[in-house]
Amino acid sequence: MGESKAVIGLSWEPKLPVLSSLTSKTPSASGNSQSEPQKSALWKPNTELVDGLFVPSNDPKKVNKLLRKQLKDTAGKSWFDMPAPTLTPELKKDLQLLKLRSAIDPKRHYKKGDSKSKTLPKYFQVGTIVESAEEFFSNRLTKKERKAIIADELLSDSTFGQYRKRKVREIEEKSRPGGNEKWKIKGQQSRRRAKQRRN
Amino acid sequence: MRPPRGRGGGGFRGGRGDGGGGFRGGRGDGGGFRGGRGRGGGDFKPRGGSRGGRGRGRGNGGRGGMRGGSKVIVEPHRHEGVFIAKGKEDALVTKNLVPGEAVYNEKRISVQNEDGTKVEYRIWNPFRSKLAAAILGGVDDIWIKPGARVLYLGAASGTTVSHVSDLVGPTGVVYAVEFSHRSGRDLVNMAKKRTNVIPIIEDARHPAKYRMLVSMVDVIFSDVAQPDQARILALNASYFLKAGGHFVISIKANCIDSTVPAEAVFSSEVKKLQLEQFKPSEQVTLEPFERDHACVVGAYRVAKKQKAAA
Repeated sequence: MGESKAVIGLSWEPKLPVLSSLTSKTPSASGNSQSEPQKSALWKPNTELVDGLFVPSNDPKKVNKLLRKQLKDTAGKSWFDMPAPTLTPELKKDLQLLKLRSAIDPKRHYKKGDSKSKTLPKYFQVGTIVESAEEFFSNRLTKKERKAIIADELLSDSTFGQYRKRKVREIEEKSRPGGNEKWKIKGQQSRRRAKQRRN
Repeated sequence: MRPPRGRGGGGFRGGRGDGGGGFRGGRGDGGGFRGGRGRGGGDFKPRGGSRGGRGRGRGNGGRGGMRGGSKVIVEPHRHEGVFIAKGKEDALVTKNLVPGEAVYNEKRISVQNEDGTKVEYRIWNPFRSKLAAAILGGVDDIWIKPGARVLYLGAASGTTVSHVSDLVGPTGVVYAVEFSHRSGRDLVNMAKKRTNVIPIIEDARHPAKYRMLVSMVDVIFSDVAQPDQARILALNASYFLKAGGHFVISIKANCIDSTVPAEAVFSSEVKKLQLEQFKPSEQVTLEPFERDHACVVGAYRVAKKQKAAA
């Protein structure tokens, strides 16, 4: 018996009365160890095991709950289970950029869409365009021009650089205060307060 | 081909379905291909360094932000099974049933998921597909969704059919009917790779000829561009469309009567449909993409509503 325990894998041994008395002690032992790590998918406390093996419960409620927890978060069957990716800062920036893309190019216009709302989409995928064979020379980015995220693509695109710089300068000039260099205009808020102060 | 008459509409885009030599049920029979549909630019020969003259339409400078290699974000569209790719510009896309293959040289979008699986989407051009134009025109419901069984009348070369087969996915099925052998050849080649497309090279006016191939369907999409297209739709619906099923029909005003204004043609067609137990629910124009076209969506043999009191 002693050597069979060393074997890795599952083994079954008859439940002896001596052992059962031992296991009856263990709940009290585990009861005081509250600081143990929380239950994970892999590790279960001894009290939930049957003969040292994990047996899923018969209760359909609990089984359903377990199944639901293990389901991946997707957009559903109607959209072929499109997954919800983890939102990295770069991805988040790209999504925000897409909302504000009407400001990138003055000559391109978009449908209204949801550019006003700040909610980012939950289910999406980042893809790369694959051109057709006939567009190999006419409509393709070279390897150097390819970037990992949309923001980098925009920054490397030189055509909008001038427009971008001019717009930034205009906004800065507009918000520059008239009198003292040290004064700052902090948007609508401060102007309203200035009015109050005057009155 | 007789010369185009009335409102100068006949010559639009190569005049598909211009009523040439007695072909029926299909389009693109003979010379009347729409420029752009079908393959290649015909007589354009890219040889030598002569880039002047009539280059490829899209050639210089890569107009259009969707250049090969650029990044886009794919999101679910309002309609089931349809996606939208957002980058410098937007594009309607469908999830490719056969990854790695383009049907008509359209652009694709390859996506690598976090778990390493690869997915591919195909860009759906509204200038080539009336269904895509209807979606962009803001139709309320196309009824074609994953798992649906669709009867497609007037399949032509199968460009739109390939997108419909993407839409319904592996659980759905598309019966594509086309009369012309020439474009039917492309349709069959496309259907070889897509297991959910069943090509039928028959006249849509005689559904009895292919009744053994087609099961009961949920939706009929009709794009036959014939003067009696309402009758063709009604015939097929009586054979195959389930009670409470839906239809989507694209109407080209020029093909029915080019002497009266388009709106009059549309309303008369809708009247015809109503006589045949159809219940049209909405009509959208395909205006920026097609001239004098409308898309009508509705239901068939709808059960009468029970009165709340009874």
